[in-house]
Amino acid sequence: MDFLTTIKDWFIEFGDKFYNTFIVENRWMYLVNGLGTTLLITALALVIGIMLGFIVAIIRSTNQRTGKLKVANFICRIYLTVFRGTPMVVQLLIIYFVIFGSVNISKVLVAVIAFGLNSAAYVAEIVRSGIMSVDNGQFEAGASLGFGYTKTMISIILPQALRNILPALGNEAIVLLKETSVSGYIALEDLTKGGDIIRSNTYEAFLPLIAVAAVYLIMVIIMSSLVSRLERKLSNDKRK
Amino acid sequence: MISVNDLSKSFGDLVVLDGVSTNIEKGEKVVVIGPSGSGKSTFLRCLNLLEQPTGGSVEFEGVDITHAKGKQLNEIRMKMGMVFQHFNLFPHLTIRRNITIAPVKNKILTQAQADKRADELLAMVGLSDKAEAYPSQLSGGQKQRIAIARTLAMNPDVILFDEPTSALDPEMVGEVLELMKKLAEGGMTMVVVTHEMGFAREVASRVMFMADGKIQEEGTPDEIFTSPKNPRLRDFLSRVL
Repeated sequence: MDFLTTIKDWFIEFGDKFYNTFIVENRWMYLVNGLGTTLLITALALVIGIMLGFIVAIIRSTNQRTGKLKVANFICRIYLTVFRGTPMVVQLLIIYFVIFGSVNISKVLVAVIAFGLNSAAYVAEIVRSGIMSVDNGQFEAGASLGFGYTKTMISIILPQALRNILPALGNEAIVLLKETSVSGYIALEDLTKGGDIIRSNTYEAFLPLIAVAAVYLIMVIIMSSLVSRLERKLSNDKRK
Repeated sequence: MISVNDLSKSFGDLVVLDGVSTNIEKGEKVVVIGPSGSGKSTFLRCLNLLEQPTGGSVEFEGVDITHAKGKQLNEIRMKMGMVFQHFNLFPHLTIRRNITIAPVKNKILTQAQADKRADELLAMVGLSDKAEAYPSQLSGGQKQRIAIARTLAMNPDVILFDEPTSALDPEMVGEVLELMKKLAEGGMTMVVVTHEMGFAREVASRVMFMADGKIQEEGTPDEIFTSPKNPRLRDFLSRVL
């Protein structure tokens, strides 16, 4: 009998906590709004990261292969060293409080810029390794058919490089999603901060934080499956 | 058609070509033979400037192209096809796209015209059923035949062959040489670096023997194979024949 009462009590207590954590004052909306902010920052930062990353990678690999673009390559190397050599949180704080310190600017925009710049540094090295992994014979074949460097790059090298690096790029997108959890440092109400607000209102840590972790996990699982589906589609031509 | 004057090429201290001069006329089939490291591939690659010569000059159709750059260089290469030892087909494209990409991207043919041309070329190389396949699904010999078709799609004035059968299994060498013979009979100007002495003897209008970065001896297949004068050549032939 005692045993059953204990279980019953536990369920009642859990129900109360659940109710308190998510239902009272519509607290679950902190998580929903937070997730929206997290996804928005991730998506926009990813766009910046990929575009800027490709540009840096092309400059770097062009320099590596032809010895041209020395100055641009030097600037890219400084950029990579700085952004890969300092913590993300510190970069976010510097961009928010120092660079945009005296400007009235949306925090989301600051986060997008900070995460985008950081992600681009990693994307750049991934793409560069992809470009360098394409056999030099492919450049020569392109050249022998009358293609200049740019045309060879766009029609022949980049499609092959992209296919080789897709898993690594997908991984970078997942890392980026999780890294945005430090947005709270500039008082942005992202998913993590949303859970934390609930925690500080209810003095109950378990439920909100586990809920936050579960939402991240679900997002990551969805992204992984999208990447592997895309990967399969692109590799069709290789081994049918 | 191609006039080479005192061509030299070094990689650092290593002299690979040391004053090569020759003329290649329209319709000629020049076969370049020689021991490995003799500079024959580098010679070929200097003709379409995949290697930048360090001295001398290369003239193509009356124009000095030694220092050609950009658009001019691309236009020269469109007229000088090249077939590689390792085929270098584009693995991400179908066979049809491999053949049509150059004329289409160079804005010489529309995709429809290029597709029609690809069908003709595929019939010629005997691989019509492979149009929608990918390079990885082909054997080495088939890949090389497609690489030749890809080069032909640009209607080049001359084709450079860089050891086209060296990477092939022995049973596939024949099909590629047959195709090259067919091209030769059709009047194509060809410069072929190869170890296939049978092909040299049968198809060449001129055989060029290179060693130590120099042309040591050149002449008709008969002169080279039955009455070689240069001792290096005699030594080389005694080892390969």
